[in-house]
Amino acid sequence: MPVYRRGYQRYAGPVTAHRHRMLAFPRHAWKRLMEQRLVVLVMLASFFWPLLCAVFVYLSNRADLLQGFDKAFVAFLEVKGRFFLIFMNVQSAAAVILAALAGPGLVAPDLTNNALPLYLSRPVSRFDYVLGRWLVLAALLSPVTWIPGLLLFAIQSGMAGWGWFAANWRLGAGVLLGFAAWILLVSLVALAGSALVRWRIIAGALVLAFFFVLAGAAQIIRQILRTEWSVLMDPGGAMYRIWSSLLGVEAPEGPGALACGLALIAMALLLAWVLERRLRPVEVVS
Amino acid sequence: MQPAAPLIELEGLSVRLGRREILHRISCRLGGAGGGKTIGLLGPNGAGKSTLIRTLLGFHRPSAGRARILGQDCLKGSREVRARIGYMPETDAFVANMTAVTFLKLLAEISGLPSEAALEKAHEVLYHVGLGEGRYRTLGTYSLGMRQMAKFAQAIVHGPELLILDEPTNGLDPAARRRMLALIREMKESHGMIVLLCSHLLGDVEEVCDEVVILNDGRVVHHANLEEERRANRRFVELEVTGDDRDLARSLREQGAEGVNEGQGRWRVVLPAGVELEALWALLAREKLGVHKLTHRRDSLEEIFLKAVGRLQRTPGEESLVPKGESTLAGL
Repeated sequence: MPVYRRGYQRYAGPVTAHRHRMLAFPRHAWKRLMEQRLVVLVMLASFFWPLLCAVFVYLSNRADLLQGFDKAFVAFLEVKGRFFLIFMNVQSAAAVILAALAGPGLVAPDLTNNALPLYLSRPVSRFDYVLGRWLVLAALLSPVTWIPGLLLFAIQSGMAGWGWFAANWRLGAGVLLGFAAWILLVSLVALAGSALVRWRIIAGALVLAFFFVLAGAAQIIRQILRTEWSVLMDPGGAMYRIWSSLLGVEAPEGPGALACGLALIAMALLLAWVLERRLRPVEVVS
Repeated sequence: MQPAAPLIELEGLSVRLGRREILHRISCRLGGAGGGKTIGLLGPNGAGKSTLIRTLLGFHRPSAGRARILGQDCLKGSREVRARIGYMPETDAFVANMTAVTFLKLLAEISGLPSEAALEKAHEVLYHVGLGEGRYRTLGTYSLGMRQMAKFAQAIVHGPELLILDEPTNGLDPAARRRMLALIREMKESHGMIVLLCSHLLGDVEEVCDEVVILNDGRVVHHANLEEERRANRRFVELEVTGDDRDLARSLREQGAEGVNEGQGRWRVVLPAGVELEALWALLAREKLGVHKLTHRRDSLEEIFLKAVGRLQRTPGEESLVPKGESTLAGL
């Protein structure tokens, strides 16, 4: 019978498990995200650098092509920790831009027209809601961060052989862990920005401002007070030092990976607190 | 036999928002077992109606006491409770750039419907509430009335047992209001849902509710079964007769009824249980009295409400019926 003739009947069929209900958020959000041309374009553009890096890995492993070049140049082409550090640095910027474009569209529309009570009056919690939104960002940022990073590592391992892999497996683990931490931080910034400001464009600007303004402020403090410790308030700078440590690359002077890690954990907790305060089904004015 | 479990059970429930206590130690049991019932939640602005609803949904944590809904604790069993509830909030609630059908599908999936069933139900419900033609339009382009209907549709899309409606007829024109009330009645009568209706419009509550709870200043000040009130009111008759009515009081007493002459042929009569209006008609005919007017007294919900919130001392005319020193009839 056609649906318009059927009339209303209460649903009495089987119901899905809790995990499936929670995943309804990312499923729907992902579809809507992929309808945004700018997001797709930036995502495609983000693959350019990994492709270039893949060509670099290929060339560095073709000894026959490198005959005749001086030793310094051949050493420069060698794939090691610094190569992955540069790769991660560039891709982390792409991840920030993508998160600034996609993040605000995930939470802000729900707050603008008060959709949260409708979600949260159903059998899902606020944590499920945030996790559902976070999964969208994680799925969006993964193909431009750790997935190409591990692919590069796999190509290099394949071309250089088992010996290289055994000696450098730490690079693969570093890429994975480093990008996982970056995705977590960037997603939290994007979600918190989106929860704070209901206008998408301003929320996007806020995400970019979080990284660039804090980096600028850290530089100003460094110049004025002549201390490297100002890097603790620069999320990008602090993460760079952690990545250096993970990849076994000599880090710049100043605070070590542990101090930077603690600073980033503090930032993440602050962002989680913002989400906890803002994402409520009802706003209580004391 | 075990007594029927109430739909909503509040035990010394207090809710504090910031430094203000909004609900003060409320205790009551609403609705019995079995579906198909509408409970009205009434109260002046700031009485705590919405806070009570939100507490039942688990949005506010009680500062004291506890609330149980459908036999489950509102906090500890919130996931189970919410799976069985449909909620229509008072304020606008939608995602502006989503089509109605996509939005309803998403909400149905969150409620636990498999994807295909959710899509089917979304279409079905939108047609049913009269939004079939506009189901592919984005919700931001909907008029206020359409948005109200969309909010109602999302509340019923997963087939809940309990439907909580906060001011469902707000902003609706008379035709849309009638349609909304008809839908609420249909949910109760044809689909066995229990409806908790929060409204400022006493007419709406009176039209569809079986039971009413009146809140004032965070306390339950009145809890009435409207069906019983209506039944009781049927025993009160207001008469206007022409002719010689001097023996009417005695004749009424012989029938077991009480009558008070208010002068100029106006009478107030209380019929005992088992005596129907036909007997009164027959008695008036025997007395050869012309009947100018015969109506049931109607203790309207407005009167009940005003008395409950302390803005009306008694139903107008109530005092004239009851001689001093006797109990009031309004309680019947």
